[in-house]
Amino acid sequence: MRNFFLIIRKYNFFIAFLLLQGISVFLLVKNNSYQREVVVSFSNQITGKIYAAYADVTDYLTLGITNRLLAEENARLRKADSNSFYDKSFKLIKVNDTLYEQQYEYISARVINNSYTKVNNYLTLDAGKNKGIQRDMAVISSTGVVGIVNDVSEHFCTVISALNSKTRISSMIKKNGYFGSTIWSGGSPQSGSLLDIPSHAKVAVGDTVVTTSFSLYPQNIMVGKVAEIGTSGESFKEIKVKLSTDFQNISYVYIVRNLLKTERDTLEAKLNANDQ
Amino acid sequence: MISDILINIVRFFLLIFLQVLVLDQLEISGPVNGYFNAYLYILFILMLPVNINKLFLLFLSFITGLTIDLFTGTPGMHASASLVIAFLRPSFLHVIAPREGYESTVRLTMQGMGGSTFLVYAGVMTFVHHLSLLLIEAFNFLNFFDLLLRVLTCSVFTMVLIVMSQILSQRSKGGAES
Repeated sequence: MRNFFLIIRKYNFFIAFLLLQGISVFLLVKNNSYQREVVVSFSNQITGKIYAAYADVTDYLTLGITNRLLAEENARLRKADSNSFYDKSFKLIKVNDTLYEQQYEYISARVINNSYTKVNNYLTLDAGKNKGIQRDMAVISSTGVVGIVNDVSEHFCTVISALNSKTRISSMIKKNGYFGSTIWSGGSPQSGSLLDIPSHAKVAVGDTVVTTSFSLYPQNIMVGKVAEIGTSGESFKEIKVKLSTDFQNISYVYIVRNLLKTERDTLEAKLNANDQ
Repeated sequence: MISDILINIVRFFLLIFLQVLVLDQLEISGPVNGYFNAYLYILFILMLPVNINKLFLLFLSFITGLTIDLFTGTPGMHASASLVIAFLRPSFLHVIAPREGYESTVRLTMQGMGGSTFLVYAGVMTFVHHLSLLLIEAFNFLNFFDLLLRVLTCSVFTMVLIVMSQILSQRSKGGAES
């Protein structure tokens, strides 16, 4: 305490100067609008910087809580995202015509699983019993054949891809009607083989190959184009077909419902029964 | 001693009136406005006795500046600038003093100190005061060189008035100093 007074005594001139100068500055800032404005804006800058630095620090401290809140929000948004929903609606394209009776209905579906690298490839679609899908329905895309429905669950169905060693697609050369079977025996997902075309049939590279109505597909669905013509044995050509459907890039397909299938099956079953 | 106090009181009022009623009323319009403001009142602070109590010096300077502020409506501005020269005055007098120091009876006038010493003393003090004052008025360092030019021109103007007042009081020796 004694030292304190000694210091005050020693520096009394300087302290008095600071004191009076402080009063002057106080009066200056208090009573002169321009100087007050400068001081206020300057002090606002300083306090603003201090608050910003404080916020930087507290931001780090609350990072854990913020992360948790963001994760919760992400989960909530992900739940609301359209990818999380099973599309219950489906569109049926029906044409009412008095002259022509509707035979085929098309049900759109999304490809949710797809393989093309194996020998036996399958697709999974997001349509099932709830949309009236049944075994052996044909599946096509906007560019051509895709496969045949193999198994159906409530919401999904599996499809035997055209890229499957078991697949035989009854096909014909569109321009002259010679028909055979398109098969795929592994290898490139873009090329299949058309068998059983008689060797006298006129076929050129680039000819269009489409489905016949003999099999489960509707007639005239695009299979592909003739890419290469060879011979197998004496009586048949072996034709390489470039498949029109790009199985490596397929996301939406149509499932074909044949409204007259039961009638046809019953009739054909009788035929088989007669034979036996 | 009594007359010394009386002389200073008279000088205080005289300089305040001169400053407020004459010098502050001068208006030079045009581009040189603000370049020729004289602040002669600081002569009171400069001429206070050499052996005055330092705290009392500060106090008197503060009062002087504040009085001017009351008339100009700028509380704190002249008070602050006056305090700066009052704070520097003892040290600066010590620096420019002759080797043996000032006699306590010496008068801080042109006659008492010698012409050149007085000019240095008054000149530096005037410059410091004007620099402080204009800086406080501007309250920033933008256009600092323009401000410096104003400080110089105003200082010259004030110095001219100070020297004139010294010559006048020297002529009327024995009369009231102004």
